[in-house]
Amino acid sequence: MKFNKFIGFLCVAAFGVAAVSCSDDDPKWNDEGSKVDLPDSRVYILNEGTMAQNNAGIEFYNPSGVNDIISDIFYRQNSMSLGDVGQSMIEYNGYIYVSVYGSNYLSKLNSACVEEVRALFSDDADLRGGIRYIDAEDGYIYASFYGGVVAKIDARTLEVKAKLNTGGSNLEGVAIEGDNLYVANSYTKALDPETGKNKYIYHTDVFVIDLKSFSLKETLVVAQNPNQLVEEDGKVFLISWNYSAESYELQLINPAANNAVTKLGYATNMAVGDDILYIVDSRTDYSVRPYVTTNTFSSYDIRRGQMISISFLKDAPAELSTASVYMMAVDDKTGEIYIGTTNYSASNGDIYRFKRDGSFVEKFDCGGQNPKAAVFLH
Amino acid sequence: MNYRRIPLLTCLLFMLALPAGSRAATPTPDAEPDSMSRSMERIDQVTVTARRTPNRVTSGVAVQTISGETLSKLGVQNMADAVRRFAGANVKDYGGVGGLKTVSVRNMGASHTGVSYDGAPVSNCQGGQIDIGRFSLDNVSMLSLAIGQDENLLQPAKLYASAAVLNIMTNTPHFRDGHNSAFRFQVKGGSFGYVSPTLRWWQRIGDNVRTSLDGTFLRADGNYPFTLVNGKYVTKERRNNSAIDSWHGEANLYYTLPDRSELQLKGYYFYSKRGLPGSVTLYNPVSTETLWDKNGFVQLKYKKSFSPRWELQAIGKYNYSWNKDQELGPEFAGGIYRDYHTQQEYYLSATGLYRPSSYLTFALAQDGVINTLNSTIYECPYPRRYTSLTAFTARWQKGVVRATGSLVNTYITERVKFGDRPKDVSRLSPSLSVNVQPWSREMLFIRAMYKNTFRTPTFNDLYYDRLGSRVLRPEKANEYDLGVTWSKALFPWMDYFSVTVDGYYNTVTDKLVAFPTTYAWKMANYGKVRITGLDVTLATSVSFPHDINLTLSAAYTLQRAIDVTDPTSKSYKHQLPYTPRHSGNVGATVETPWVTVGYSIVGVGERYCLSQNIPVNRIDGYAEHTLTLSRELSFRNFGLTLRGELINITDKHYEVIKYYPMPGRSWRLTAAVSF
Repeated sequence: MKFNKFIGFLCVAAFGVAAVSCSDDDPKWNDEGSKVDLPDSRVYILNEGTMAQNNAGIEFYNPSGVNDIISDIFYRQNSMSLGDVGQSMIEYNGYIYVSVYGSNYLSKLNSACVEEVRALFSDDADLRGGIRYIDAEDGYIYASFYGGVVAKIDARTLEVKAKLNTGGSNLEGVAIEGDNLYVANSYTKALDPETGKNKYIYHTDVFVIDLKSFSLKETLVVAQNPNQLVEEDGKVFLISWNYSAESYELQLINPAANNAVTKLGYATNMAVGDDILYIVDSRTDYSVRPYVTTNTFSSYDIRRGQMISISFLKDAPAELSTASVYMMAVDDKTGEIYIGTTNYSASNGDIYRFKRDGSFVEKFDCGGQNPKAAVFLH
Repeated sequence: MNYRRIPLLTCLLFMLALPAGSRAATPTPDAEPDSMSRSMERIDQVTVTARRTPNRVTSGVAVQTISGETLSKLGVQNMADAVRRFAGANVKDYGGVGGLKTVSVRNMGASHTGVSYDGAPVSNCQGGQIDIGRFSLDNVSMLSLAIGQDENLLQPAKLYASAAVLNIMTNTPHFRDGHNSAFRFQVKGGSFGYVSPTLRWWQRIGDNVRTSLDGTFLRADGNYPFTLVNGKYVTKERRNNSAIDSWHGEANLYYTLPDRSELQLKGYYFYSKRGLPGSVTLYNPVSTETLWDKNGFVQLKYKKSFSPRWELQAIGKYNYSWNKDQELGPEFAGGIYRDYHTQQEYYLSATGLYRPSSYLTFALAQDGVINTLNSTIYECPYPRRYTSLTAFTARWQKGVVRATGSLVNTYITERVKFGDRPKDVSRLSPSLSVNVQPWSREMLFIRAMYKNTFRTPTFNDLYYDRLGSRVLRPEKANEYDLGVTWSKALFPWMDYFSVTVDGYYNTVTDKLVAFPTTYAWKMANYGKVRITGLDVTLATSVSFPHDINLTLSAAYTLQRAIDVTDPTSKSYKHQLPYTPRHSGNVGATVETPWVTVGYSIVGVGERYCLSQNIPVNRIDGYAEHTLTLSRELSFRNFGLTLRGELINITDKHYEVIKYYPMPGRSWRLTAAVSF
């Protein structure tokens, strides 16, 4: 084959591949079974709901539309409620995985929130304490449970492949970095033999689990009552709900430095994106009636290792400074920041959307109570 | 006629003018002579044993009553089922025999409702609200609900201090002629493994002493079926972990002293073990919580009338209550979690009543109370609460006007073993009611009432681990009521027809609520509620030939109870959770010589389960129908009562509290032998 012909063949082949991949007939998302037409860009917001009300749900929000919202798309698509206490939601390989704590199950949804398969855990004595947080790697979902167990679950079938009893008690946040799964061991509610009282015993453990062998590799000592874990740029960040400190503590776990733990400051919620850790520190003044909570927004430049104390928000509505922040999430593709606030069981929460540069875009009702997590599909 | 019998006869005539045991007992002194003379012909062999039902028409405040006999005839299942038939009462029922049942009157909150048992207050300093489900209906002679200030002046100061009082009166011993003892053995059986035998022994000892001994055992599986609707999926489910075993025993001694003063000594014990099924959780049927309760009290009541001008009542009570709450699960250390709570109460009350003239009455009531709590809740500071309540009341009654004013002074001081103690509470709470009868020959009354009350923070509000706050103020309530009552026998064959209409306006401010903060929820004084409403009751009784009698009663409540706390809130001016706009009930009994038929309908309109009135929070209304057939048979040496009840005839599946389903159609049979 002559060179020119070869180039021509390549061009034709490339065009053909491009034409095939750009075909209107080839859906970008797996929306099989969907009852509604959805745009390519989608934001799903998990509403935790109020415990014992079975009112968890997922709101659909079109980031490129105006008032293009479905309050509970899970209900719309599946004609049933998501259940009690929406705990965690992630996107993995084009699917959405949701853990529902009170109802104690894990659900796999397609990109239109149509449920494909679910795994119920109430019949499993090891997992009866309730599923909490999830993360995914190499075809498996890893889920923490109250009661101290981490489950390795086939991401395709949701079959529990292995269970690891960590020796901890109530496990909370999870994060994966490299071949390691980091799991927060929060607290135990137990009788104190000295006082005869039931008390919360706060732990100071983050378990490091080797994913290849699915075994406990190391236990890190962190601030007490560890809870939220996120990963970005090879770093793991932890918020511990340390009630004895002036606010919740923010720590950095550095896998590259033998999982060294260093304190970064205080934070009550966080999210990562674009090499930035976005932080809010909410503090309540109990000396005024009614109590007033003030939010301080700041960030941490992960690559430079620098705290940036000025707010990453530019023109946020005034009420956001005293609202109860329940969720922060960053759209990986656009860098936009979504901040969810709660009115607890009194009413639906709100989402405040900001551009990457911190300028305010809009505020919308999150369609349920206690917005807990968000995933972004583009 | 023996003239010594005239007072008795008069009394009997008066009682017969009442609907026997009717909830709407309204005497009609100006009843048609024909009906009176007919009654006179029937009364010779009658022995009156029913307690005289308070007159709601002539009352200056809204007082509703229902007798034990009516409760039986209408097939009322339990205390909550009875109380929900009062206009203005909002009962929260978590379902099943063992489910928590509390009553909030005109939406001021369950903690504003006082409960008295045979004249002495029942308290719960830890949680505030009283679980009325624990009181058995078997021994109840009369229930009454007074909204505002009860007409009875000879009562403890604590009952003056409540926004509304549910008064439970139990049966007192009475005997057939020539008998000194009476026994009654009753067995109830019904759906869902319900069995409840009751034994009662009444004994007269000499002329002045009567005793009673009651014992009841109750067990039920409580695993009733219900329909779970989850979107397009409708499934048949069963409640699980809802079995109950309970014992209830009561001993009373009634002693009439030589000076005609009366002494009543009561011992009470209650034990129960019940599974707590909790709310229905979608996709997760696991329920492992169990609650044990023990409650015992001893109560001594003394009442003396020194002269027509002076009366005295004194009450002493010691109350002990204990409960254990246990839950199983891997999330607890060792797979099990237990909480224990013990409360004790020492209570003394004295009330003096003085009538300086025929139109003026004064009453002064003084209570002293000590409440303690011991609990396994972390950092429980073993609080000890000392309460002094003083109530001064004056009543003016002359001509067409009756006015009652009272002033209650409350002083509370608390001691704790560690940590800060809350500030002392010292408050004055006034109330005023006026009742006018414009025409002396017409049983038409116009009444108006104002009452100011408050509820003290409970031990849980103050000290519960992390949630509690020791800087709370009392929650205040104001009640205003304007009503019209009327009663008349419209036709010769009608015993009475009565109607009451009350419009009301209440405010609750400084509400004690769990307030969200950074760390967790914490108790705070936050919130204001405005309640406007209308209560209407109707009652009538008609006598037909052949000893057939029809009694009808109905109650209706229209209510708007809104949250006016924060104008920026999404739930601002929304109807409060679990507050139907419309609710009501109808009850009918037809008494014949052969069988007594009772039929009742309780209806509740749609409500919201959460503060925000959006469709997803809406709960459907319901109507529950109950049919009862009963027959009393008399034999030479004993009497036999048979009763069959068909409850929720239409098999309506409904919830009072969201995800706490109520039973569908069920039955209950009762057989009682008395001798």
